[in-house]
Amino acid sequence: MLIGVVPFFAAFIYALGYSFGLLGVLNNGFTTRFWQSVFESGEFLKSFGYSAAIAIVSLVLSIGGALWVTLKFRRELDKKFLSFMMYLPLAIPGVVAGFFMIQLFSKGGFFARIAFQMGLIEKTAQFPDLVNDSLAFGIIVTFITMLIPFFTLLFLNVYKNERIEELSILAHALGANANQVTRRVFLPIILKKTWVLIALYFIFLLGAYEVPLILGQESPQMLSVLIIRETHQFDLSKISEGYVVAVIYTIVVSITAILLFLPKQKNVYET
Amino acid sequence: MNKKNILKTFSLIAILALLISCNSEQKTDDSGLKTASWEEISAKAKGTTVNMMMWQGSPVINNYMNNYAVPQLKEKYNIDLNISGGQGPEIVQLAMGEKEAGITNGQVDIVWINGETSFQLRKIDGLWGPFITQLPNIKYIDLDDRYINTDFQQPIAGMECPWSIGQAALVYDSAKVSDPPRNLDELETYVKKYPGTFTISNDFSGMTQLKSFLAELGGSPNSLDGKFSEEKYDKLSKQLWMYLNSNKKYFWKEGETFPKEQTKMSQLFANGELYLGFGFSEGGIEEKIISGLYPKTARSYPWENGTIKNTNYMGILDNAPQKAGAMQVIDFLISPAAQFEKSHANSMDSNTILDIGRLPEEWKEKFANAPHRQYGLEMEDLKDYAIEEPAPEYMIRLYEDFRTQVIEK
Repeated sequence: MLIGVVPFFAAFIYALGYSFGLLGVLNNGFTTRFWQSVFESGEFLKSFGYSAAIAIVSLVLSIGGALWVTLKFRRELDKKFLSFMMYLPLAIPGVVAGFFMIQLFSKGGFFARIAFQMGLIEKTAQFPDLVNDSLAFGIIVTFITMLIPFFTLLFLNVYKNERIEELSILAHALGANANQVTRRVFLPIILKKTWVLIALYFIFLLGAYEVPLILGQESPQMLSVLIIRETHQFDLSKISEGYVVAVIYTIVVSITAILLFLPKQKNVYET
Repeated sequence: MNKKNILKTFSLIAILALLISCNSEQKTDDSGLKTASWEEISAKAKGTTVNMMMWQGSPVINNYMNNYAVPQLKEKYNIDLNISGGQGPEIVQLAMGEKEAGITNGQVDIVWINGETSFQLRKIDGLWGPFITQLPNIKYIDLDDRYINTDFQQPIAGMECPWSIGQAALVYDSAKVSDPPRNLDELETYVKKYPGTFTISNDFSGMTQLKSFLAELGGSPNSLDGKFSEEKYDKLSKQLWMYLNSNKKYFWKEGETFPKEQTKMSQLFANGELYLGFGFSEGGIEEKIISGLYPKTARSYPWENGTIKNTNYMGILDNAPQKAGAMQVIDFLISPAAQFEKSHANSMDSNTILDIGRLPEEWKEKFANAPHRQYGLEMEDLKDYAIEEPAPEYMIRLYEDFRTQVIEK
């Protein structure tokens, strides 16, 4: 715990000091002007909202997809080949997945060229906007491709460990139909056992960097891209603003993480 | 955690903190270097290991450095040159971080910098100097040339040594466009005729393109010269944003977003999404065509009101441990032999900073007989279209306002 926590706190104090102008080569001492200008510009809130929206949409779609795959293809996934194909995306790092998306879906990319050959479009500009677009289509699809295999693996494990197979048979024997089995047995058990991991993945997606860097727009930007841009900017005297955003983000995420882990301890003593 | 554990934890942290702060290195004494003779400096530099940080994003530059410069330095001066990767922002971050931590013997001796980075480094007093007049090969460089001795309207004052010079130019694909636009009015007609094929990158290169546009709105190539003028900027930028916002629906992706950086724009040009491009080194197309990235029909051309011509430099960091070695390396890099090798059109293809008129006869001939570019324009061709780099405040404001006035609208 020491090795993990001490550097984290040291870095947090450093960022906090920088954001108030106490540290930093070009800063002159305690000032709240960086905090003021970040809040006034509203860019942080927009970026936070944007990042949260992308994270939620990606998670909901991935979990929905993973649940469906788990339910429908549970037996098939025990076979070697299918499980290999399913889990292959897990081995692909984010950066590679991002560039792959560009190669496939950009206006000069693979699908655009097929559409052109098939006569569906006449110029590159007519191909729909799928990467670097305002709906973050490219980013969401990349996240989903990376997350569905992971969640499928997770849900399959929970399925086996919680003996959901046996419980479903029991429920059937007691008169439940397939729909009720899904709603009352399958879903509650799986989600209850994995919701902490899902919440942690939400935080992970919130702070994603390379995928939004490659596939995202210039405005609004996802949080990590915004922070790195601000701390590396041309006007050195404004670097503190990047640290302000970093501090706010860290506080929000830390509070969320603490809240996630507190109730768990209480549950241990309930029946 | 009970009291005993808390006490142990805190004492461990305290010990760690003490160890880290007790950085008992001696700062190397460089005060003698500024008055020493070149023989003394050269002798001091022999056998040292010099660290250099430079942009490693170009295979031809890396090839020149790793396969020519490094072995030559070892052979001639017994100097080991270690090159690490880092662009402007990384170099400045390193310098700032080391300054904040009070590190007196830094990781890097030489940095390859251009206007914006040297401006930032000067702001934090990160460069050591002045030193360039002590280099023997400096006599071949024309320090009266205002494109060389002034960096972002700030005199270099000997703090950085010129290494290469280049001018920005526009690029177009001659197979797709026969008559590319040469001023803002023609650009307006062009984007309506070929929508979705033009854009501006949201980085240093794109801001340089915007500076050309701003100068054109100012009415002449010299309209942005001199100290930063708030009212001039306000007036011209208002017109620029209005122009961009009214035409951006004909840009790439209907102007909803802009490519993050120059490399992305090059990729878009290479795969045919963009028909127009922009680049330093007179468009920078020669090596890209030779390597097969750009189509053979790519060409560079000048902008009517001119494009920025600027020099890039080698600087020595303030806390460099091997300053004598650094001076020797830089002197080698501006020697006629190294500059000639660098200027080969089919390798690094970088304009020499040396004034050909000042070179000895044999080198004059060599440079004159060197093969010329096959595809791109030479810097000589763009001579009449050269603009000086305006004051850095223009760049700062353009970065910010392009984001708030165009991208976010």
